Amino acid sequence: MSSSKLTGSDCAATGPARPFSRRELLSRSGMGLAALALAPMLDGEAARAAPRAGDSPGPAGPHFPGKAKRIIHLFMNGGPSQVDTFDPKPALEKYAGRELPSGNLQTERRTGAAFPSPFKFQKYGQSGIEVSELFPRVAENIDDIAVIRSMVADIPNHEPSLLLMNCGEARLPRPSMGSWLTYGLGSENQNLPGFVAMCPGGLPIQGAQNWQSGFLPGVHQGTYINTQHAEVEQLIAHIKSNLGAQRQRRQLDLLLAFNREHLDRSQNDRELESRIQSFELAYRMQSAAAEAFDVSREPQHVLDMYGSGTQARQILIARRLVERGVRFVQVWHGAQQPWDSHNDINDHAKLARECDQAIGALLKDLKQRGLLDETLVIWGGEFGRTPTVELPNPLIGNAKTNGRDHNHYGFSMWLAGGGVKGGITYGATDEFGFQAVENPMHVHDLHATILHLLGLDHERFTFPYAGRDFRLTDVHGRVVKELIA
Amino acid sequence: MKQTLGLVLTVLCGCLSAVDAQDVREAPIEPSPAMKAEFFERQVRPVLAEHCFACHGAGKQQSGLRLDSRSAVIKGGENGPVVDLRNPPASRLLKAIGYEDAELQMPPVPEGKLPAAAIAALGKWIEQGAFWPADERSPGASAGEAWKTHWSFRPIRPQPIPAVGAVDWPQSPIDGFVLAKLEAQGMQPSERAERATLIRRATFDLIGLPPSDDEVAAFVNDPVPDAFAKLVDRLLDSPHYGERWGRYWLDVARYADTKGYVRLQEERRFHYAFTYRDYVIRAFNEDLPYDRFVVEQLAADQLPPGPDNRSLAALGFLTLGRQFTGNRHDIIDDRIDVVARGLLGLTVTCARCHDHKYDPIPTADYYSLYGVFASSEEPTLPSLIGKAAADAATEAFQREFATRKQLLDDYEPKQYAALVNEFRARSADYLVKSLEGRVPPQQPLPIAAGEIRQVVVERWIEYLERIGKHHPVFGPWHAFAALKPDEFAAGAAAVIAGWTTPSGDPQPPRIQAGVKNHFIAHPPRSMADVARGYGELLGAVHQRWQSLLASTTAAGSGALERLSDAEADEVRQVLYAADSPVAVSPQEALSQYLYDAPINDEIVRRRNAINQHLAQTAVAPPRAHALIELGVPYEPRIFVRGNPTRPGRLVPRQFLEVLSHGSRKPFTMGGGRFDLAQAIVSRDNPLTARVAVNRVWAHHFGSGLVRSPSNFGLRGEVPTHPELLDYLAGRFMDEGWSIKKLHRWIMLSSVYQQASQDRADYRARDPENRLLWKMNRRRLDFEALRDALLTAAGRLDRSLGGPGIDLGSAAANRRTVYGLIDRQDLPGMLPTFDFASPDAHSPERYSTTVPQQALFLMNSPLLAELARSFAARADVTSIGNPSDRVAHMIRTAWGRAPTEGETKLSLKFIERDQTTGLPAGMLNAWEALAQTLLLANEFMYVE
Repeated sequence: MSSSKLTGSDCAATGPARPFSRRELLSRSGMGLAALALAPMLDGEAARAAPRAGDSPGPAGPHFPGKAKRIIHLFMNGGPSQVDTFDPKPALEKYAGRELPSGNLQTERRTGAAFPSPFKFQKYGQSGIEVSELFPRVAENIDDIAVIRSMVADIPNHEPSLLLMNCGEARLPRPSMGSWLTYGLGSENQNLPGFVAMCPGGLPIQGAQNWQSGFLPGVHQGTYINTQHAEVEQLIAHIKSNLGAQRQRRQLDLLLAFNREHLDRSQNDRELESRIQSFELAYRMQSAAAEAFDVSREPQHVLDMYGSGTQARQILIARRLVERGVRFVQVWHGAQQPWDSHNDINDHAKLARECDQAIGALLKDLKQRGLLDETLVIWGGEFGRTPTVELPNPLIGNAKTNGRDHNHYGFSMWLAGGGVKGGITYGATDEFGFQAVENPMHVHDLHATILHLLGLDHERFTFPYAGRDFRLTDVHGRVVKELIA
Repeated sequence: MKQTLGLVLTVLCGCLSAVDAQDVREAPIEPSPAMKAEFFERQVRPVLAEHCFACHGAGKQQSGLRLDSRSAVIKGGENGPVVDLRNPPASRLLKAIGYEDAELQMPPVPEGKLPAAAIAALGKWIEQGAFWPADERSPGASAGEAWKTHWSFRPIRPQPIPAVGAVDWPQSPIDGFVLAKLEAQGMQPSERAERATLIRRATFDLIGLPPSDDEVAAFVNDPVPDAFAKLVDRLLDSPHYGERWGRYWLDVARYADTKGYVRLQEERRFHYAFTYRDYVIRAFNEDLPYDRFVVEQLAADQLPPGPDNRSLAALGFLTLGRQFTGNRHDIIDDRIDVVARGLLGLTVTCARCHDHKYDPIPTADYYSLYGVFASSEEPTLPSLIGKAAADAATEAFQREFATRKQLLDDYEPKQYAALVNEFRARSADYLVKSLEGRVPPQQPLPIAAGEIRQVVVERWIEYLERIGKHHPVFGPWHAFAALKPDEFAAGAAAVIAGWTTPSGDPQPPRIQAGVKNHFIAHPPRSMADVARGYGELLGAVHQRWQSLLASTTAAGSGALERLSDAEADEVRQVLYAADSPVAVSPQEALSQYLYDAPINDEIVRRRNAINQHLAQTAVAPPRAHALIELGVPYEPRIFVRGNPTRPGRLVPRQFLEVLSHGSRKPFTMGGGRFDLAQAIVSRDNPLTARVAVNRVWAHHFGSGLVRSPSNFGLRGEVPTHPELLDYLAGRFMDEGWSIKKLHRWIMLSSVYQQASQDRADYRARDPENRLLWKMNRRRLDFEALRDALLTAAGRLDRSLGGPGIDLGSAAANRRTVYGLIDRQDLPGMLPTFDFASPDAHSPERYSTTVPQQALFLMNSPLLAELARSFAARADVTSIGNPSDRVAHMIRTAWGRAPTEGETKLSLKFIERDQTTGLPAGMLNAWEALAQTLLLANEFMYVE
């Protein structure tokens, strides 16, 4: 990186190279070591050579070469129903309107009779995996998708399940997966934040805790973007200069001159150098970020492929971001919990219409650009829904009796790209889709598998805090090798 | 598992030797060790490895049990021993694998019961004394003693001041300790910093603000030899001192003005959190002795009130943490953490689920502290403190408050009484439901009339376990509960018969007559029958009491205290005593949604009406988020694996074993908060003073003498200067725990007054400056940065105290410490600038350098605004000559005169910059220069 010359040469002139201290690693982790030109990009040999002892953590790169380099997490917050999307259960027809012979599991609210899906399923692709009519465009890519039909969480409430899915812990403040990843792998693009969380129109339930950095440095927190806005200046804070580009360049040159004189007096100080550097990075970030978030720069055929509307725009932004090296992009469907169809499952049709085309386009687009191999796409909510109908409860106002309650006992998610096998299903729920019975895959297992795909061993990827080494997977988690190509 | 506690070890060793003796004496035919080994390797180890190690091995220790070494097997798990070498068939391990008890079946389904041969092999193995080849000792058995010699648990001893070669250098005892270490390495300290540097350093250090131009000049030219001591005194006397150092403490206390994520209609603000913040600031300004400061923050409600009760606000240290949507276990965990890490430098919350892996903190100690905090709750409304002003606005406020309060008082107590009476009347339903056992806690939802409240079911389960099997009323319950379901009727008959036939027991436990008679008349055929029987008895006595109450009220006679029939009253106590399972508190009734939904909504509405009114903190008399003691202290049990649905044995409320010098006694005063506070500030506690002194040191030097300021345990860092730490800690206690004195000792040392210039040769030897061969250069933290920006802009509002302000507002000119901290949604610039996360106790701030910080400084509306103000200051605009104006601006921003080069560059920038035709909102040339000065490293760093 040419911009790092200042640091490199000054350093070489004034002192011998030395290993980074833990403090330095932490302080620089936001920029990644790549910004310093003292170390090459972290994916290379240096990463493996870098120290990774228990008490000197830092962005030291992957433990082994990972197939995935970055992630797009499409978060269907509220909890999409598995029996209406990716887990067909014809047996429900048999008991329609009657009690399930196996009885109902206890969920958040009371549910009643078996409630067959109002949506038709059909087979897609070479693999012949069945997908419902809610996601025809996604289904066109089914041979690139691994459908997990046996996901399991712990509690049928949104708040703890969101935190579990994002942070691996249901209640206590812990870093989110995106924070762990930018902490562990740094960013591939110094001009953009490494972890971006997009949600149109406001925050999901649990708010910014879903992308919190917890005990990791604050810089690893997800940068929230309200994708309700289309204008770049409204999307990103502090992106526009108060001076205009040319005058700002001259201002920064003056600043650089002041800082150099100060640095000369202070002699060697990496921290001062690093702060000088940060203004140059910020300067470039202004144009780079503006460019990255501006979908109007896409050709018309690409815009057409994704379709219109907020979902299309934010999913296309996601592609532009991963293309530019952003490590983790989370795309939330909307504020609060749009997929929470307690009252009427037909709401799912509207929600799916909003995002199906764009998700289908994303998978195709990534593939065409040769990015899918390195980009892991994750689709799912914080849990699924019951195969039984939610009983009306005047206290809550769900009078239609055509919806489904939360279900953490068994639900579907899917993965695509990033080294995942395509055209497979993994695990199964029972005959009615209530509970995972074959190869249950807990959220911790999902996390372990995701980290593995990125080259991180979930048991060795730790951070010391409050007296012990913490992991994203705490003391749990199993890498599900069956999903890995 | 590298830890083994001394305590456990002792027990374990005793156990082992007893067992070994047993082996020799009782084994009829003693197989040779070789035979035992072969048997073990062929028939036992494969079974254990295949079926047990996954959950009870090196990776996982379900129920705290390991089965991969002999000592681990002998030690057992959280539920006690699993093998009984004196009576092998009684071993719990054999019961578990034999599926003898429906509650304890191992391996669990779906794997299912072991083959008979494997069960037999394990039985034989235990009979042979659970032989294990000798090379495998309990891992960590040797590490178990490490804490006994760990530096931080050893007493603080007086330390002689080391002799040094450079006798002229030391100004204070501190210097002797530091210089001796340097000289031992053949190193010399740095020169004294220049006066201009010193005043900037001292001023930022003590009050978090830059010195003014005049102050710099006065100090630089002060001829007296003790000029620096005078400066330090002046700064310590400034009311801004408490703002700086109080904020440091707020990091420790994970201060915030909001509760974190809240559900439904719950109030999200702590409206009176600011009274805690102001208490902390005042405590520092008044130099409240640190031991007193600690005691007030833990137990101000139990101290004799002073002239006013303002110190009640100190309890915010405990109460202002994240509320975890009302999950009380997590709230208590957070309180244990803030006390343990914040005051003691110990990571006690590691022991929530299992014994601490490194430090001598068993799970039992965690729950001893849990019991202390579970014995308190917040009052319904924050407690009034101080005096209300006597003006009209306050009076109007008070009148309206009284009206709203009355509305609540007319409603909630009645509903609360009705709710508890419903629980009493429906004892049968609750007891029947309790037979289904505990369920994992869920978030409560609005609930309809008549539904069973799981919270109350759990309380019944807990109650039945707590009172034990000799309770006169519930003794029979336990006797029946022990019967096997398929032989229930016969077993019950035998139990009942036992009541009337004399037993061998000279003092059989007494059984309440009504209970006895009921079951004699109605022998139960199942536990459901038992539950219904008890329900009838309890329901009847409840009815009787209620009608008696009604008739005495009607007759106008005095209050009843008990039923005259003492035995009947014993039954009544189950429902009416303070420790009754139905005695939920009004707070709990609301937070757990125990009321029928419409009633719940109405109470919340009336409470919120009060809360909204109280939110007018500008006119409301101040209140404190205090604590009060429960009527009956909570009796803690260990929660196995931290799981509240799996309570284990009872533990007393008491202090940590490792800090009790073998003379630990259960706390006696109420729930024990005051006792705990006393134990923490005890002169014999080696941690409290060391931790406090180290925190102060760290804020002066950028790093502590111990570089893990909240972890003094075995995994923490060792001190760079242990003798100095002990010297300071000892003197700190000897001289009245005065933090201001501590500042003077530190700042009047030569160590503190060193220059911060680099020395390449020394840096190569000691890159982190652990030996203190120079002063560390330090970056301004977020508060100091923002306050310094406001100062340069001439906009800083120096008024003190009061409700929090919105830092994002353009009109926010007050010091940053007064910003409202919303822990659920921190304004983006705070995390960007490494502000302490208010989620939990924060030991130290990160210091990151990232482009987002630069972006904020370059482009945020705040910086543009401040740059404009800076350029528009009257003392700036009044200078006509450009180069004089530049010089003045640089002096204002950086506290020193510009170099020739700096002036030249600035003037060139101004000259060349566009001055006309700028779009609205853009900074002009002078404003852009002003901003540049504020962005410079010189502004951001203190030498």
